[in-house]
Amino acid sequence: MATRLLRISSALRTYSNKTSHVKISKQWRSTAASLQQTLINQPATKTTTFENGMRVASEDSGAATATVGLWIDAGSRYEDDKNNGVAHFMEHMAFKGTAKRSQTDLELEIENMGAHLNAYTSREQTVFYAKCLSQDVPKAIEILSDIIQNSKLGESEIERERGVILREMQEVETNLQEVVFDHLHSVAYQGTPLGRTILGPTENIKSITRNDLVTYVKNHYKASRCVLAGAGGVDHAQLVDLAKKHFSGLDNKIEGEIPLIHHCRYTGSEVRVRDDSIPLAHIAIAVEGAGWTDADNIPLMVANTLMGAWDRNQGGGANNASNLAKASAEMGLCHSYQSFNTCYKDTGLWGVYFVCDPMQCELMLYNIQNEWMRLCTIVTEREVERARNILKTNMLLQLDGTTAICEDIGRQMLCYNRRIPLHELEKRIDSVTAKNIHDIGMKYIYDRCPVVAAVGPVENLPDYTRIRQSMYWLRV
Amino acid sequence: MMTRIPQTQMTTVIKNSCCSSVHVKNLNFWQRCKSFSDLKSMVNVPSTAVVTPFPPLTDPVPDLPTPIYSTAKEEHQMTQITVLPNGLKVASENRFGQFCTVGVLIDSGPRYEVAYPSGISHFLEKLAFNSTRTFESKDKIMLKLEKHGGICDCQASRDTFVYAASAERNGLRTVTQILGEIVLRPQITEEELGLARQTIEFELESLSNRPEQEPLLMDLIHAAAYRDNTLGLPKICPEGNISKIDRNILFTYLKNHYTPSRMVVAGVGIEHKALVDAVQEFFVTEKPIWKQNTDLVLPERGSNFVDKSIAQYTGGFILEECNVPVYAGPSGLPELSHIVVALEGCSHQDPDFIAMCVLNMMMGGGGSFSAGGPGKGMYTRLYTNVLNRYHWLYSATAYNHAYSDTGLFCIHASSTPTHVREMVEVVVHEFVAMAGPISESELARAKKQLQSMLLMNLEQRPVVFEDIGRQVLATGSRKRPEYFIQAIEEINKEDINRVARRLLRSPPSVVARGEVSNVPSISDIQAGLLDSQGRLPGSRNRLSLFR
Repeated sequence: MATRLLRISSALRTYSNKTSHVKISKQWRSTAASLQQTLINQPATKTTTFENGMRVASEDSGAATATVGLWIDAGSRYEDDKNNGVAHFMEHMAFKGTAKRSQTDLELEIENMGAHLNAYTSREQTVFYAKCLSQDVPKAIEILSDIIQNSKLGESEIERERGVILREMQEVETNLQEVVFDHLHSVAYQGTPLGRTILGPTENIKSITRNDLVTYVKNHYKASRCVLAGAGGVDHAQLVDLAKKHFSGLDNKIEGEIPLIHHCRYTGSEVRVRDDSIPLAHIAIAVEGAGWTDADNIPLMVANTLMGAWDRNQGGGANNASNLAKASAEMGLCHSYQSFNTCYKDTGLWGVYFVCDPMQCELMLYNIQNEWMRLCTIVTEREVERARNILKTNMLLQLDGTTAICEDIGRQMLCYNRRIPLHELEKRIDSVTAKNIHDIGMKYIYDRCPVVAAVGPVENLPDYTRIRQSMYWLRV
Repeated sequence: MMTRIPQTQMTTVIKNSCCSSVHVKNLNFWQRCKSFSDLKSMVNVPSTAVVTPFPPLTDPVPDLPTPIYSTAKEEHQMTQITVLPNGLKVASENRFGQFCTVGVLIDSGPRYEVAYPSGISHFLEKLAFNSTRTFESKDKIMLKLEKHGGICDCQASRDTFVYAASAERNGLRTVTQILGEIVLRPQITEEELGLARQTIEFELESLSNRPEQEPLLMDLIHAAAYRDNTLGLPKICPEGNISKIDRNILFTYLKNHYTPSRMVVAGVGIEHKALVDAVQEFFVTEKPIWKQNTDLVLPERGSNFVDKSIAQYTGGFILEECNVPVYAGPSGLPELSHIVVALEGCSHQDPDFIAMCVLNMMMGGGGSFSAGGPGKGMYTRLYTNVLNRYHWLYSATAYNHAYSDTGLFCIHASSTPTHVREMVEVVVHEFVAMAGPISESELARAKKQLQSMLLMNLEQRPVVFEDIGRQVLATGSRKRPEYFIQAIEEINKEDINRVARRLLRSPPSVVARGEVSNVPSISDIQAGLLDSQGRLPGSRNRLSLFR
């Protein structure tokens, strides 16, 4: 029987460290969907679930290097007003020594292996991973398990770390994109846990105690909420054995109240931080998108690709695939823009972030909203086909290297409890039509209340009511 | 009859029938209210409309074919190299996976621009992948590439141009055609040239507005180190040249530099034979546009069109007193002053090259505040001896730039303007200490980190492509990663001290940007580098006070 080779495709990742924008994995695309079997020149993702609910997932490419890490379903969303920032604080403390390793021992051990140890906290996920030579995988897992389960949390280290986190906060504040996205969350999800920042307010960073950290870990670092992921030169059976050996300390017992996740309500609203001393206006506008698991995410991502991204330093002029990029290049609307689709468990933000000259805010916004209305009504099959191709290509080319693949495995296991096979993702993307885009537009964009966050010289940005009025057309 | 009336209406009817006289009017009002409130609620309540027939992403799509996965291993592949009769080299390596990266590497870049207005390379970088003889616009190229799931990119360094594209394997012929077209047969229309001018203007503007100084400093330190020759020529187009560079100059440059003998076509993830055939068709059989239309190039002015001179390291001193932009927002970070001190290193073909790389790794460094956990080199000398000791330093990083005939070993540091003098003293002291005692553990760590960095970089197909291309362009062959791993393993303390002494023998190059009035003179810095303690004249033993 004739079988045809499939091709890999991978994730759209417009995410910064602190926000979990959509990423989708290296997957296979079927060029002949009717075939009963498809040949894939790529290792399979193997998964194992332990009795306690912990999952192990890996893809063995036999490379000389590997990335292994622990993905935990925990983040700032699980915090309240009093302990906001504790998840991120814990991420910092993990590198400050354990019962059997001092901070210096730990650092030297990693550095001497030529490895990298890294961690990040988002609103819904906490991740610790190590990148190392493949023969060092057992050692890397042992170190990961040690820092996660036996962190010393010494009082003096906690005091010292407050200063470091406050300085990190300063650093984040120099990145206006992060500032705008924090503002965007604070109004879109006002009054809910998703509205809080990941770092937490200054007073919390100054007041978080050892007890807060211990309680947080006890309640959230639970076996059934953990995924051990690996990619590169990792053997699945070996990884399973190592997980059994080193993560046996994780259980599902919770003392006190069981942490439940509550739906986070979206509120169409706005925030403006006018500061004319900043040279350029930094603005994000979004509508409520879909949660991680919603099948609508695929057409939303195609719509996202239709909006595209552009930076004036790249040029490109009229040759861009996206209308908005063309307009930006031809009319000098902005310095750069990018569309985003940030997903959470039950909600999401779908929109555009842009940086423009002070007096261009209104014109840029007009073009964005006009393009949104086009998506809802008259976007053509041809445009959608092109966007599908670009989306698949972008997804594919992100997944080069063991760290990118490992991140993809870990994230998908947490979000979907499986890794979506490439040929399935391919099928889902390929079946998106112009009609789907119109429908998705009508469902999520058309006549919806947007959320707007603007920082800098934003005098020229229209009033919210006027922005709201541009969310529909009088003729459709 | 009654059963078909909806519940709400029924109650309305009953209600209204009680108060007989006004009921018609009331009903209308009620209905108006109802429809109004319905509309309102539709807007803020998330829609539950079904858009796609597929199940949620947690569940598999039914009736998909069963995938058969391979147990792919990255085997040790051989690099195959073919030299075509006209001198063009084709190098490739097979690799598992459905995608390939193919590209062209050319001996071209600012170092060859001495006979031309500076900035040609900057223009060519911006003009890459525009219209060609076959493809009437960039859009056509992108569409064709997108059909094969491909993307493309052009990057220029001081001595090499890299045009590359990644796409599905079965798109190899198309990708090679596109590369042949954009390298040998670009149109460079006036319109495209205008857009490139604009893009470069934008880039110059944002370079001057951004707090990041690296691109500017790298141009400056090369200008100081190789005064007015080869590698010292600017990579960033000088503002005055933006309007000067025209089609004829560009085509004249292309004609002289984009010749088969200065070019390598490299590929990863493809069959060698298929690549050679495609290259033959699109790079050899089809002629360059400047051979078909000789009006494009300027009339010959002499033989000086290709600069074959060897880079002359001169050393030098450039101070740029200016305001370095501060980071936007309420960061509290002060304005910084930057310095780079460089010494002549070695070429990538030099026997000392590997030792120089290990030394670079041993010096390491980075920002005093940088994200990332252990593994970023936090036990390198610039961290342990410098950043961890002096709170006023914001960054200190060692770089090793290697070219075909020379190299630069530099340390870049930034601090608050009040500490500029001390910053230079600290950097000079570290340079001198490189020739001093080295501990076993720091050397072992540097070697291991260099080895793992090499292997980690080679995880990515585009990096493998570039590695093959650059090596074949420079030497005509490719050394395997295993060779370098072994060579790194063999480096010992003597080697490091030897290259350190070699570095210290060269006259220094120093550049500074920002508030730089307190930077010591070049002769003081030179004296400091020659002093066994690395002490600058008149420094009042300031360093020993700190230690």
